[in-house]
Amino acid sequence: MIIARLLAAVRGLIRRRQIDGEIEEELRDHLAREIEFHRSGGLSQEEARRLALRELGGLTQTIEATRDVRTIWLDRLLRHTKHAGRQLVRNPIFSSVAVLSLVIGIGTTAAVFTVFNVVLLQPLSVAEPNRLVILSPERRGQEFVFFNPVYEALRAEQRTLSAVAAVDDEPFLPIRFEGERLPTYARGSVVSGTYFPMLGVPSLIGRAIVPQDDEAIGTAGVSECAAVVSHDLWTRRLGGGSSVLGRHVDVGGIACAVVGVMPEAFDGVQTGYRPEIWVPLRALKDRKDLASRTSAYFSGVIGRLRPDVDRPEAEAELNILYQHISATNASAAGEESAPAGDDRLRLLPGAQGLDSVRRQFSEPLWIAMGLAAVVLLIATVNVSTLLVARGRARVHELDTRIALGATRSDLIMQLAIEGAVLTCAGGLLGVLIALWISPVLADLVTIRFPPVALRIHVDLRVLAVALGSTTCAVIAIGLLPAIPLTRRSTSPKPGGSRSVSRSRAPIDKVLVVAQLALSLLLVTAAGLLLRSMIRILAIDPGFVPDRVVIAEVRENRPEPSSGAVDPTTRRAQWLESYRRLEGSLQQIPGVRSVALSWLGLFSGADVRSQLFDVTQPSEQVGARTDYVSSAYFDTVGMRIIGGRGFTSADREGMPRVAVVNQALARSPFARGGLLGRQIVLDEPDVKDAPFTVVGIVADSRFNDLRETATRPMIWIPLPQAPQAITSIAVRSERGDENTIVRELRRNIPSADSAYMIRRVVTLTDRVNETLKPERLLLGFASGFSILALLLASVGLYGSLAHAVAGRTREIGVRIALGARPGNVISMVLREAVVVTAIGLAIGLPFALTLGNALRAYLFHVQPRDVMTLTAGCVALTTVALFAAYVPARRASRIDPIVALRED
Amino acid sequence: MNKTQLLQGTLDLLILRILELGPNHGWGISNRLQQISKEGLKTSQGSLYPALHRLEMRGDLRSEMTASQNNRRARVYTITPLGRKRLGVETEMWEAFALSMRRVLRETQ
Repeated sequence: MIIARLLAAVRGLIRRRQIDGEIEEELRDHLAREIEFHRSGGLSQEEARRLALRELGGLTQTIEATRDVRTIWLDRLLRHTKHAGRQLVRNPIFSSVAVLSLVIGIGTTAAVFTVFNVVLLQPLSVAEPNRLVILSPERRGQEFVFFNPVYEALRAEQRTLSAVAAVDDEPFLPIRFEGERLPTYARGSVVSGTYFPMLGVPSLIGRAIVPQDDEAIGTAGVSECAAVVSHDLWTRRLGGGSSVLGRHVDVGGIACAVVGVMPEAFDGVQTGYRPEIWVPLRALKDRKDLASRTSAYFSGVIGRLRPDVDRPEAEAELNILYQHISATNASAAGEESAPAGDDRLRLLPGAQGLDSVRRQFSEPLWIAMGLAAVVLLIATVNVSTLLVARGRARVHELDTRIALGATRSDLIMQLAIEGAVLTCAGGLLGVLIALWISPVLADLVTIRFPPVALRIHVDLRVLAVALGSTTCAVIAIGLLPAIPLTRRSTSPKPGGSRSVSRSRAPIDKVLVVAQLALSLLLVTAAGLLLRSMIRILAIDPGFVPDRVVIAEVRENRPEPSSGAVDPTTRRAQWLESYRRLEGSLQQIPGVRSVALSWLGLFSGADVRSQLFDVTQPSEQVGARTDYVSSAYFDTVGMRIIGGRGFTSADREGMPRVAVVNQALARSPFARGGLLGRQIVLDEPDVKDAPFTVVGIVADSRFNDLRETATRPMIWIPLPQAPQAITSIAVRSERGDENTIVRELRRNIPSADSAYMIRRVVTLTDRVNETLKPERLLLGFASGFSILALLLASVGLYGSLAHAVAGRTREIGVRIALGARPGNVISMVLREAVVVTAIGLAIGLPFALTLGNALRAYLFHVQPRDVMTLTAGCVALTTVALFAAYVPARRASRIDPIVALRED
Repeated sequence: MNKTQLLQGTLDLLILRILELGPNHGWGISNRLQQISKEGLKTSQGSLYPALHRLEMRGDLRSEMTASQNNRRARVYTITPLGRKRLGVETEMWEAFALSMRRVLRETQ
C-alpha cells in the first residue's frame, strides 16, 4: 500500500517534465469538447468559447493549479532543504563539528572497507569467477602440499571440473629481454598450460599460454618457451608497442619468446601478488623436479567447476580420487603409506583466487572493520547529541513555528532534513577522504615479500557501504533528536521557560553515556594491543639489530653448456666468491664487519638437520642449521657464552668446528656437555666428517620474536662447508644506513657478478615485517581510539554546555543565594563524573569481550588486563573532566542579576 | 453551503465513483458528474483537474494520453486497485456520516 503510493509519487516526479506539456494539451482538449457541447446547444462559436473558459476558471490558472498538485511534494522537500541549509550556515561551529564528526565516522568506515573489499571480497577479473575452486590438500587436518605426480594424476582422472591448473609463483624470477645487458628480477608465475584456458581471460595482444606450450623444450615443435607479460611490464619495461610479440627473453636461463600481453585488469590469481610474466611450467621446471613425489612446487591448484556440478559434489569425487592417488604416490615414493583418512582434499571457493594474503589478514581486517563501525557509531551518536542539545536551545523557534501553523510532521521533516543535509555533507567528504587514505592502509596489508601494493578499486560495494552507513546515520541523526523535540513542542508547558527546575529529557545523557561506553571499547583495544606491542618490542632477540643492514641475494651462476658442475670446481668458485665479497665490502667506509650466511636472521627460511654424536649414531636430534662466515656472530651481535666463536682460522682444510646455541647445549642430547664433542650433520655434502663443537651462543630469535621456546640450532663455518649464500649482513660504525645500502648495491655485483640483489634492508625492518598484522591492528585501534576520545569529549562538552545554558537561571539563583564559584564548578563536574561512570560501567563488559576477540594478537597480555582497563577508564575520565571544565567555569561566572533578568 | 462548492474529499469520492464505471477523460468526467447529480452537484471544472492529478499522484488513478478527434490528444483516467479500495472505504464512511447527520437533523427538527 505504502509502496504503491510511493511508486506513484516517484512516477509523477520522473514524468514531471513530460506531464507539464501534457496538462496544457489535456485542458485544450477539454475546452474544445466544451465549446462543441455549447455549440450543439445553439450558441455561437464566440459565446461558446467564453462560456467554456469561464466554467474552467481560466486556462492559465487551471494549468498552474494542476501543475502545483504535481510539484507540491518536491517543493516541500526543497523548501525544507533550503531552510535547513540556512540554519546550518547560521551556526558554523555547530555545523562544522557535526560534519567533521561524520567525516571521521564515514571516512573511517569507507576507508577500511575499501581495503577489506580488495583483500577479502573482490573476485578475480576472470570469466565467471564464482565457478572457480581452490584444491586444498590436507594431511591429518593440517594444510598440505600438492606433489606434481599427484596433481597430474588427479587432473587426468577427475571428471567434475572442466579444467584444472597449477601455478607456482616465483617472486624473484631473473629475466633479461633481448637487448638488455643484465637480468633483473620480475614477479613471475610459472603456470600449467591449462591456466589461461581455465581462467578464460583473453590476452590483450598476441595470445595467452595454451596447453601445447606446456611441454619441455626440445619435445616436438617446442624450441623456445612461450612467455606472456603483464600490461604493466609491457608498458613500463618494453615501451608498450606491438613489436613486443616474438621478442626473445631469457627467463632464469631458459630461452623464451613473448607471445602475448595480458589486459591491465588481470592480476593473476593471488591477491596482492601481481605477476609480471607468466611462463609454462614444464619449460622452466626441471623434469626431475616435476617427477619428484616428495617435493612440491605449487603455490596453488585451481579448478573450474563444470556447469552441471556444484562444489560439494565435486569435492566428494575429488576427495576419494585424491586419497587413492596419494596412497599410490606414497608407495611409489617408497614411503610408508599414510593411514586412510589422513589425506583429504578440500575444495574452497576460488572466486577471490589463492588466499595467502587473505589468510594472514582476514582476521585483523574483520576486527578493524568492527572497530571502524564503532567509530561510525560514536560519530553518529555524537551528532545526535549535538542536535538534541541544539534542538533544546531552539524550543522557542519550534514553538513559534507551531503557532504559525506548522504541523508536527512539518517539524519532524524539517529536523530530519537538517540531519540529512549534515550527514550527506559528511558522507560525501568522508568518501573523498577514504579515497585518499585507503592506499596508505592498503600498504599495511601487502604480502611480506616482495612488497606489491594492492590495487585499490572503488567499486559498487564500497559505495554501497558508504551509502548504507550514511543512510543509517541519516535516520538515526535525523529522527532520534526530532522525537523528544516534537513531543515537547506539541504540548508546550505554559510558562515552562520561566521555571528554574531541571526537568530535562535525559536523551542527551543517554547518548553521551553510549559514546563513552563505545569509546572505552576502542581505548581498551588500543591499550591491550599497545601493551602487547611494547612487550614484543621489549623481547631481547638475542642479537643486536641496530646498524645492521642485510642484502638479500641469490646466486645466479651461469650453468656450463653441458653436464653438471664438478663439485670441486663449485667449492673453489664459492670460496673465491666469499673472499672477494668480504674483501670488497670490508672496504666500504663506515663498515665494521661483514658476515655472509646461507640463511641469516629472519629470512623466513628454517632448515633442520639431524645431528648425532660420532660415537653414538643411533641417538639423533633435529636442529636448525645455518652456514655462516667467521664474523657472523660479531656482526649480528650474538653473544658467545661458552667456548669461542668462529675465526678466520676456521678455514677449509683446518679442523672442522661448529657453534651451537644454549637450547641445544641444554637439551638432553648434550648430556655431559657439548663443548669438544664431535658432531655429525646428516646432510649429503657434509656428513663425511664430524664437526667439533667449540662454542655456545646465547639463545636468539630466528624467524619470529614471539617464539616462546628457542629451538636447538647449530652453525657451521661457511669455508668448511661451502654453500650458495642468500644473505650478506653488514654492521656499520656510524648510523648512515643510506650510504651503506647504496654501497652494498654497487659493491656486491662488482665483487661477484653471479649475485643478484633482491633487496637491501635493515635488520630492524626485517624483524618488524614479521609483526605486520599486529602493527596493522595497533595502528587502527590507536588511531580510532584517539578519534573516539575526541568525539566523546566534543559530545560531552556540547551536552554539558547546553545543559549549563539551559540552567542559567537556576545557577544564577544558587549564586545569588551564596553558592561560591567552586561549588558551581564541582556541581557541573559531578554531573560529568556521574555520566562518565555510567558510561564506563556499561562499556566494561563489552571491552572485556573485545579483549577476548583480540586474544590471538596479544603477546603476554591477558585480554582482561587490569592495568589496561584501569588506564582506559582513567584516560576517559580525564578527557571527560577536561571537556566538562569549560562549561563548568562558564557556569561559575554566571552573573545572577543578568541571569534572572533573562527573557 | 453553496451547492457548487464541494468539499475536496467529496469531489475525490465522486471522481472515483465515476471512474469505477469505466475509464474516462476529464471532460467526460465533468459531464458525467453533472448528469449523475442532475445539475445538483455541479463541480467547478477548474478544481476537477488538480483533483484528478492529485489522485494520480496518490496512486488512486492511472492515466494515459490517447488520440482524440481532430488530431488532439486526451488524457484518459483509469481507476487503480488502490483507488477501488479507497472508494470502498470512503463510501462507507460517507454513508455512515450522512446517516448520522440525517438522524441528528431529524431529532432537532
